[in-house]
Amino acid sequence: MAEADQAREEVSEFQKQVGALREEIGRVIVGNRDAIDGVLSCMLASSHALLEGVPGLGKTMLVRTLAGVLGLEFSRIQFTPDLMPADIIGTVVLDEGANGAKNLEFRRGPIFANIVLADEVNRATPKTQSALLEAMQEHRVTVGRTTHVIEEPYFVLATQNPLEMEGTYPLPEAQLDRFFYKLEVPFPTRDELHAIIDRTTTEQHAEVRRIASREQILRMQALVRKVPVARHVQDYAIRVLQATHPNAEEAPELVKRFVRTGGSPRGVQAMLLGAKIRALFDGRFAAAIDDVKATALPALRHRVLLSFEGEAEGIASDRIISEILKKLPASKE
Amino acid sequence: MKAVRFARRVLNLSRMASTDGIGSLRRAARRATRRARARAVLSAVMRLLPIPLAYGVAALTLVKLLRLAPHAQRPLCLVGLVPLLAFGWGVARAWFRKRPSWSGSLALDEFHSLHDRVTTALAFGAVPEAERSPLMQAAIEDGIALSGSLDPARAVPIRVPRESALVGLLVVGLLGLSVLEVRTYHRSEAPPAFEPMLMTADDLELFRDVAKELQAKNDDPNALAAVHRFNQLIEDIAQHRLDRHEVFQRMGELERDLKENVDLDQDARDEGLKGLARELEKSGLTKPAAAALDEKRLADAEKALRELAEKLKRKTDRPSAAELDKLRQALQKASRSNEERLRSIEERRRELFEEQKSLLKKKAEKADAGVPPDAKIADNERRLEHLDRERRGAERSQQQMSELDKQLAQAARDLMRDAGESARDLEQGAQDINRMAKQESSEAQKRELLRKLQEMRELMRQQGKGGKDQLQRLMKFGERARGQSGGDQGKGSGQGEGQGQNGGKPGALRLGRGSGGVEIPIGVAKTESTGSGSGKPGDQPGGDSQANGQHWGTGHDPNLSGNASDLKGNTHDVTAAGADTGQGEASSQIIYGAADRGFVGRGYKNVFTEYHTVAEQALSQDEIPSGYRFYVRRYFQLIRPRD
Repeated sequence: MAEADQAREEVSEFQKQVGALREEIGRVIVGNRDAIDGVLSCMLASSHALLEGVPGLGKTMLVRTLAGVLGLEFSRIQFTPDLMPADIIGTVVLDEGANGAKNLEFRRGPIFANIVLADEVNRATPKTQSALLEAMQEHRVTVGRTTHVIEEPYFVLATQNPLEMEGTYPLPEAQLDRFFYKLEVPFPTRDELHAIIDRTTTEQHAEVRRIASREQILRMQALVRKVPVARHVQDYAIRVLQATHPNAEEAPELVKRFVRTGGSPRGVQAMLLGAKIRALFDGRFAAAIDDVKATALPALRHRVLLSFEGEAEGIASDRIISEILKKLPASKE
Repeated sequence: MKAVRFARRVLNLSRMASTDGIGSLRRAARRATRRARARAVLSAVMRLLPIPLAYGVAALTLVKLLRLAPHAQRPLCLVGLVPLLAFGWGVARAWFRKRPSWSGSLALDEFHSLHDRVTTALAFGAVPEAERSPLMQAAIEDGIALSGSLDPARAVPIRVPRESALVGLLVVGLLGLSVLEVRTYHRSEAPPAFEPMLMTADDLELFRDVAKELQAKNDDPNALAAVHRFNQLIEDIAQHRLDRHEVFQRMGELERDLKENVDLDQDARDEGLKGLARELEKSGLTKPAAAALDEKRLADAEKALRELAEKLKRKTDRPSAAELDKLRQALQKASRSNEERLRSIEERRRELFEEQKSLLKKKAEKADAGVPPDAKIADNERRLEHLDRERRGAERSQQQMSELDKQLAQAARDLMRDAGESARDLEQGAQDINRMAKQESSEAQKRELLRKLQEMRELMRQQGKGGKDQLQRLMKFGERARGQSGGDQGKGSGQGEGQGQNGGKPGALRLGRGSGGVEIPIGVAKTESTGSGSGKPGDQPGGDSQANGQHWGTGHDPNLSGNASDLKGNTHDVTAAGADTGQGEASSQIIYGAADRGFVGRGYKNVFTEYHTVAEQALSQDEIPSGYRFYVRRYFQLIRPRD
């Protein structure tokens, strides 16, 4: 019983912490509640996020603010076509010591930070992208014969511009799959725009406070993994994922017509982890079907690959996932 | 199991259990599951019930409309098993369908917006306690805390499905059809409109003339009654009081009566006279009378009897005593011949009747053994009927001959005393034979009437075939036959006393006949006039005259000057006629003239009579089929001379 009470306290603490983080971020970032929650979820899931939105929507600001609030090391990499892997990973340089001894020393690149903003990741060459994605997946970097571990928490936030596709290198499906969520940053509403203007065009500058420590973040990440998932929720998440495959039994007609490949198992992992985090956000002790439904879109939209027909028809993957959620009953009879 | 449930109910353990944490959640979830199942079954029932109901409606409609017999309904019933089985299968499937264990709890979570807390608590509750994590335990406790607010009835409402309206409609339709009686209305035919039997005026006149002629010839009340009925029939037809069916019915009745009386009377009289002739032949004195009677020469028989009476009255040349004795015996037997004949018939009939009675009795008593054949009984019945007819004839003969028999018996008796007395009796007998001769004449008239009736029936039958067109043609023909060809309208107009003009189609030139005037034919030929004009005005009113020309003029011409004729002078009526030289028109000329002028005039009458006589002779002497006879007679009826 005591354990249960302790767990209850932990959940409560988690909820409070998240609330504080939201509030603090909200002082700088106007609106974008879903994007903020999504970014936080990715971070708490020890994973990475891909933000998509037109320039000027505050993507970089969001990440910068998050880093400030969390008191974590932050680095920003502006991806360009001539960016080399060494530019992000780091390079070995010949260093002359005080005694004149010369040593080969590894100089860490910007990727060695707790929070990395990979701005316009699709502008870099695949080679450079691969270097980033390897670090994201493994949380370590191997240069020469030496492997360098990246300090936890490690969180990469990549952004890409959906409009300017010329001269870009769209991320391959396999690399996209490594992002926990793909978050879309919507255009602000009129009220939000008013607020943005008020905050950015006056002398007043909001200063963010450090709300959480690195340890706290790690504890929160650990708690997320402890949240149990009942069978029916897991079952539902699996059915949703299966339904993204055109040859699945429960796949709706839209999937059968316009989807080339459905989500990978990483998709269901992302859905359930996201569901757990969402349950904790709400102060609940277990994930629910509603949580799965809420996380399905960011977790699957970059994992569902449209067929040529789907591309030609201009079908958005969001529409397909929404159709699945709408048609799929909570329990299969 | 039942006992445990009973104990739980009595001890209120179930209520206690509802408060024991996870158990209450499970019960609420189970209840929700049951309700979900019931809702699914109800939905299946309402979704599938229209199939057998619709089939029932269709089948019942067929049965009612086509009035199918029970054996014809059997295939419909057998086919009806298919929708019934489909319904049963669908409902059973809905009831027994496997549902996930969390369906009820999920419904509760969904309804109460609990984010799966109940379902999760139940799921973690199923995990062994040792394996539960602190968060699991917290989730269970979280779920249990909600148990008091759960409402399975509201969470899984059992609503009436939308299809129930259709089901209700079909049920009402089925019930309505089952009580509905399909009636077949037969349109009753309207009674046929009264269509009077039509006959042309010409034919009516013909039959009126026939009736008039028969009436004039007859003084027999029976014959007169028949003629009266015939006349009445003609008048009813003329007044359009009878339809075709009634006319034929009345003709049939009249014909039947006439035929029966005529045949019976003649047969009876013939038989009676033959019996008399047989007996009278035995005496030499009455042989001539017997021969005449045998040959039905009643006038000769009467004459022979009168001669015998004269002979008996004479003082000289009287018959011998032996002859007289023979005469007496012959008269006596003759007077009793009819009576004897009737007695003989009665005796034979009585014997036959007794035999028949005995046969019938035997047949009734012993149905199996010794049964006389039915043929014998039937033969006896026929013979009895024959004897009955004979008896009726003999009785009628006796009635007809009774006076003559009496006279002959009296003559026989008187002959024993005084021949003179006997002679008077024989004279009276002769008178009786005269009466019978007259009666025969009356029967001939009846036969004539019968023939006319048959002709009329055939005429009507033919007319019925020809329809109204033929009737109109006949009417036109009748007009032409009377010399009233189309367009000849009378122009009679009173122009002064005694000056009525000849109307219609005039015959020969004739002067009009004024009142009190004289007829002065101008022609000198044997046939002075062949036209029908007789000085009368026409039937139609004059075209430009105010008078209608139907009568003689009676007014005075206002333009007259001078005194009126003095009719009181010494004048006397003179009829001037040319000498008949015997040289008139040839028959062919008359016939040609008739085509133009109509069947009028003396000349035409003579020619017609001549030809008609020849035709009648041929009809009576030659073998001519009866069907042809009608047409020949009809032809002469149509071309008969008109007055």
